[in-house]
Amino acid sequence: MEHEVLIVGIGGQGIQLVGKTLAQAATDSGLYAMLAADYGGEMRGGPSQSTVVVGDGPLRALPILPEAGAAIVMHDKFTGPVPERVRPDGLVVLNSSIVDPAAVGDAHRVVALPVTEMARELGAPQAAGLIILGAFVAVTGVVDHDRLVSAMTSLLPPYRKQHAEANARALAAGAAAVAERGDLPPHRDGKAPQGAAA
Amino acid sequence: MSPATTAAPRRELLEGAEAIARAALAADCRFFAGYPMSPFTPLLESMAKLMPEAGGVCINVESEIEGVNMTLGAAAAGTRAATGSCGQGIALMQEAIAEAALNETPFVVFNMARNQQDYFQCTRGGGWGDYRTLTLAPKDVAEAVEHTQLLFHLADRYRAPTVLYGDPLIAQTRVGVEIAPLDLPPLPPKDWALDGTQGGTGHSRQVWTWAMGKATEPGPGPDAHWQAIAAKFEEIGAAEQRWEASETDGAETLVVAFGSAAKFTEWVVEGLRAEGHSIGQFRPITLWPFPGEALAAASEGARRVLVFELNAGQMIDDVRQFAADRSVVRGIGGVSIHESGLSYGPLLDAPEIRRRILAALEEED
Repeated sequence: MEHEVLIVGIGGQGIQLVGKTLAQAATDSGLYAMLAADYGGEMRGGPSQSTVVVGDGPLRALPILPEAGAAIVMHDKFTGPVPERVRPDGLVVLNSSIVDPAAVGDAHRVVALPVTEMARELGAPQAAGLIILGAFVAVTGVVDHDRLVSAMTSLLPPYRKQHAEANARALAAGAAAVAERGDLPPHRDGKAPQGAAA
Repeated sequence: MSPATTAAPRRELLEGAEAIARAALAADCRFFAGYPMSPFTPLLESMAKLMPEAGGVCINVESEIEGVNMTLGAAAAGTRAATGSCGQGIALMQEAIAEAALNETPFVVFNMARNQQDYFQCTRGGGWGDYRTLTLAPKDVAEAVEHTQLLFHLADRYRAPTVLYGDPLIAQTRVGVEIAPLDLPPLPPKDWALDGTQGGTGHSRQVWTWAMGKATEPGPGPDAHWQAIAAKFEEIGAAEQRWEASETDGAETLVVAFGSAAKFTEWVVEGLRAEGHSIGQFRPITLWPFPGEALAAASEGARRVLVFELNAGQMIDDVRQFAADRSVVRGIGGVSIHESGLSYGPLLDAPEIRRRILAALEEED
C-alpha cells in the first residue's frame, strides 16, 4: 500500500519543511518514503510544491505523480496538480484561512482548518504548515504523532533549535483540532482519528 | 499499513546526490574534484561534506577542465577518484576523458545531467582516438547507489574511465535508501600506479598515451598500444552489456527507454498490460556497450518498437541498428526542457507518455 501526498502552497509557508518532516517521520518509522524535488525557483510568494510517497514496501510511485490519494493545500494562489490529480475519493486537507474549498474541486473528501489563524493564535505564525501536517497525520494515521515531533526536531538546523517547542505545539494543535471534530472522514485504517493532547 | 512499525530502520532518507556520494565512499573513492553546476552541485556538496571525514580529498575546482585533469592525476597515482558535472561541463572534460581512456587511467565521471540530451556524449565520446566510455544509466536512486559502486569496480578492472548518466530526478529526489556494499570480485593490484614506490630505482613507471616507454625500458609504442586498447574496448563491449527486459516475449509492442524515463514508461506499460494490451519494455542499463543482441531478441516479432527518450532522437540510432525489424522502430519522445533550463519539461509525465503510446497503437491498428 502506498500513500501519495501532494503538498502545495506558496514560498514562505513551509511547504518544503512539511514534506521533509513527513518523509523523515515515515523513514524513522521503518517505512519506505520518497520526497520528490520541486524544480521551481525558490522564492517567497512563488509556487511551492512537495510530493511525498510513503509505503510499507519498496515504492513503485513515480517522482512526478500521475495521481495522488491525498493533498495538503496551504494557498489557493498555487494549487498545482491538486485539482486534476487527486483521486476522486482522495483526501484534501486545506487551509481554510486562505483557501476556498471550491479551489480543489468537490469530488474529494475535504478537511478544512483555518491554520493561518490558528498559528497566529498560537503565537507561532510561521508554523501554520506544521499545524496542517499535524492534522493530516491525525486524519490518516500514516505515521505516529510522536515520530512526527521527533522528525521535526531532528530536521531543525542548529540556528533554529529555539523553534522546536513552538513547532511541537503546532503539530499538537493540528492533531487536537482533528480530535475535536466529529465531521471528519474515516481514518484510512478504519480506526478513530488519533490526536495528541493539545 | 501500521503506524506501529518500530523496527530499527536501516534505511536513511537521503537526497539522491548524497546517496551517490556515500556509495562512492563505500567503494573507496578518496578523491573528488568538480565545479558547481545544477543538478550536479548537490553531489559536489555532499562530497565536500563527507570526503574529509573519510580521509579523502574533495576540491571545488576553478573549472571542469581543471577538475577532470586533477582526477586523472589522482587516479594515475592509484587512488579511486571521480569527477562530475552535467553534460555542459562534461563537454569541457572530453579531452582528458579520451586521454585517460587511451592511457588507461581509471576514474568515474558523474554526469548528473539536466535531461537526456547527452546520450551521444556518453556513448560516442567527444575526444580523439578509438575509445568508448562504459556508461550506466540508473532508473532511480536505489539503482544509482549500486551503479556507482559497480562503476568504480569496472573502471579499475578495465583501467578505463566510466560514466554514470544520472539526471535531476536522481540527484534531487530524497528516498529511504540503504547504502549496502556490493559484493564484487577481487581486482588485481595497481602495479601500474605512479605511487612513488619506484622512485630512484631506475624503474619508475609511466602513464603515457603514446606508450613509447623509456630508453632503458621501451614501451610497446603507439601501434601495439592502440591495438591493445581497441581489443580491450571490444572485450568490454562484449562482456559488460546490461539490460532489463519486461514481458517482451510475444509482445506486439515494445517500448524502449533508459534512465528515469524508463521508470515512467515501465509504470505506463504495466498499466496498459493490465488492461490487456500486448506490450513489453526493454531498458538498456548500459548505454555503452548497448545491449544490441538482447534488444534483437526482445523485439523479435514485435509489430512496433516505440522509443521514448527526452531528446531529439539519439538512442533511437542504436535501437534501429539492432532491432529485429528496423522498419517498425519509431520515436515517441522528444525535446522537453523545464522553464528553468535545469530539468525535464512536461513530457516526462506518465499520463502524457500513456497518450503517446496509445496514439501509436491506434495509428497503426
